[in-house]
Parts: sequence; C-alpha cells; structure tokens
Amino acid sequence: MAEHLHITPIGNDGLYILDTASWRVFRPVMNKEKCVECGMCLTYCPVNAIVGTQDKKYEITYDYCKGCGICANECKKGAIDMVLEGGTK
Amino acid sequence: MSYIDVLREAKDQVTPGMSACQGCGGELILRTVLKIAGKNTIIGIPPGCMAGAGVVGWNYANGLNIPVHIPLLDNTASFLTGLSQMYERKGRSDVNIIGFAGDGATADCGFQSLSAAAERNEKMLYICYDNEGYMNTGYQRSSTTTKGSRTSTTPIGSVINGKQQQQKYLPLIMSMHNIEYCATASPSHMSDLVAKVQKGLEASKKGFAYLHIFSPCPTGWAYPSNKGIEIARNAVKANVFPLWEMDQDGYKLNFKNKNPISVGEFVKGIGKFKNLTGEDIDSIQKYTNKRYEILRRLAIG
Repeated sequence: MAEHLHITPIGNDGLYILDTASWRVFRPVMNKEKCVECGMCLTYCPVNAIVGTQDKKYEITYDYCKGCGICANECKKGAIDMVLEGGTK
Repeated sequence: MSYIDVLREAKDQVTPGMSACQGCGGELILRTVLKIAGKNTIIGIPPGCMAGAGVVGWNYANGLNIPVHIPLLDNTASFLTGLSQMYERKGRSDVNIIGFAGDGATADCGFQSLSAAAERNEKMLYICYDNEGYMNTGYQRSSTTTKGSRTSTTPIGSVINGKQQQQKYLPLIMSMHNIEYCATASPSHMSDLVAKVQKGLEASKKGFAYLHIFSPCPTGWAYPSNKGIEIARNAVKANVFPLWEMDQDGYKLNFKNKNPISVGEFVKGIGKFKNLTGEDIDSIQKYTNKRYEILRRLAIG
C-alpha cells in the first residue's frame, strides 16, 4: 500500500467496467424509417446505451446494452424490435 | 432547453458497464441524477443495490467519474453532514453533496441519522430510490414494502399471505422536518424528475433537500425486465405513488389524477402480488385513497 499516493485507494486503477453486453439475449434493432426522433428511448434506457447523434437522431450502441427491452416497450411508434442474439456481439 | 436535450447533451458520470440487473430502475435514476448534477459532485452511496453493482468501485478502481464513498448502512446522512460542513468551511459551497440510498438505508436503518441531519437542515441532497425492500440481499421486507408483497421474510404460505402491514409513507414524514425541499418522483415521468433534481440541487445549497424516487425492481418484484417504466407509470396513475413537492411555499401536487386506475389494475403482471386476495386489494386501495386525500388537502391550488 505504501506506493499509493491517494488518501483512499479507490480510483487508483481507473474506472471499473464490466462487460455487460455478454448478458444480452435479445438485441434491440432500430427501424430508422419508423423513428420520429422523440428521444423516449434515450430518456428511459437504464444503461445509457442509446446516444444522440450530431444530426439530432438517435442510435443504439451495443458495447454495454444488457438487452432489457425497455426501449422497445416504451417506443410509441414501435420502431425498435427485439431480435434474438445470434452468435457473439 | 427541454429535458430530453438536457439528458442528451449531459455526460454520463457512471461507469458504462455496471452489474445492476437488466431493466434496473435504480441504475436509470442514478445515471439521470448524475447527468444533471455533473462533475462538481461528491456522492455517498451506502450498502445496497447501487453499491453492490460496482458503482463504488472494486479492486482499487472507481465505479464513477466523480468521488464516491460508501458509508455504513445507518450513517449516510451524518457522513455527508461532515463532508458538507468541511466544504462549507473551505469556501467551496458550490460542490454538490449527494446521498443516494435505497429505502432500507433511508427508512429503516439510516432513519435516525437522516432525521437528525434533516432537523439540523444540513446542506445536502438526499435521494432515496425506493424499490420497496432489501433487494441487494435477496428481497427482505422493509418498512416501505407494500402490503401483501411476497418477500423472502414474508413468504406466501398457510400462516401469512405476504407482508401484513401497510407501507410507511416516508416522504411526508421527511417534509414535516421543515426542510428546504422535499419531493417524490418517478422515472416514468422524466420531465418532472429532471425538474425536481434540478430544484433539489439548488435547494441543497441552502438547506436539506430530500427526493423520494420510485424504482421498480424486475428481479425482486418478478416482472419482465421491459415492463419497468410501465409499472412506474401505473403506480402514479393508481395513486400508489403520488407525485408532489414541498418547498417554502407549501405543498403542490404535480400530477393531478382526474381518473385514477384501481390498485387491482396496478398489481396486474407483478409477480410479488400474485397471491393477493380481494380483501388485500381492498385494504391497499383504502390506504391509497386515504393517503391521496391527505395530500390533496395539504396541497395548495
């Protein structure tokens, strides 16, 4: 412990990140034609896996998405489908 | 700036991969709160789901991009009092001091220190994410568990049929401490939640602010992980979780419910309420109506 300069050791080794994408059974797929860019998916995604793009649109990122399906359930236009994950991410 | 733009532009302060369950309400609330609070924040997270999910860090790594500490289950508010007073003395009262505790660490174990800190009007924002039980250890009953819930300490069987007592309504108790700001919020009503967190952070510079946020739990409550927001919305619609706020002007109902749905409709599809009898539902409905009537009479306008 002597080599640590911090008062508490927390944070010395950077950020604690878990590979949560490997939990996914169903993958959300956005249908860009049905999407009206309301932003409800971004609002309700617990993992913050949905990001706003430069041109005011929304995109699903799959690096940490756990596949809970809240985005598909909350989308008023039914623009997100949950499809069975095939193979690895 | 609408609330969606606020959430869209803000930087996420939480680690991207944390081990909260799929569809966890608490994770959504934590990310939303810290998006609004920003970098200039110190947070205390007592043992509970959010601490257990790796947010406080593991093996010398941090779970957040901001300083985080794990106090004991029963001293979150007193721990934050020390932090708050120290930063005040250093002339850095711009730092947001936030406590983020579950209902066990708020209503049961941590209530003594919380009540004392509220009475002293210490400058902090205390947030309770209410998932109605000790979820991190396998859903034991807490004082905010709804009557009739199946938990591991109040199982369904021939002797008892779930929890036998009505839930304790903590936010109203906290508001009676004459604190700076007190409110309830639900992740289903996100614009309301964002406004309340902003208001709470502002009030925390002047005194004690308390937020009670409904947090559905797919694992403990036994419902499909995609239904969380729907259940939170139904709880507000059924007056099981009324949305109101208390500031220096008095009480205000934020969601005036003209045609509330029945408790029977709210409990549909939630596994922990599977064994409710008609009698149980009636008694929850009666308690819900009584509580809403108290709030309606307290509210101005």
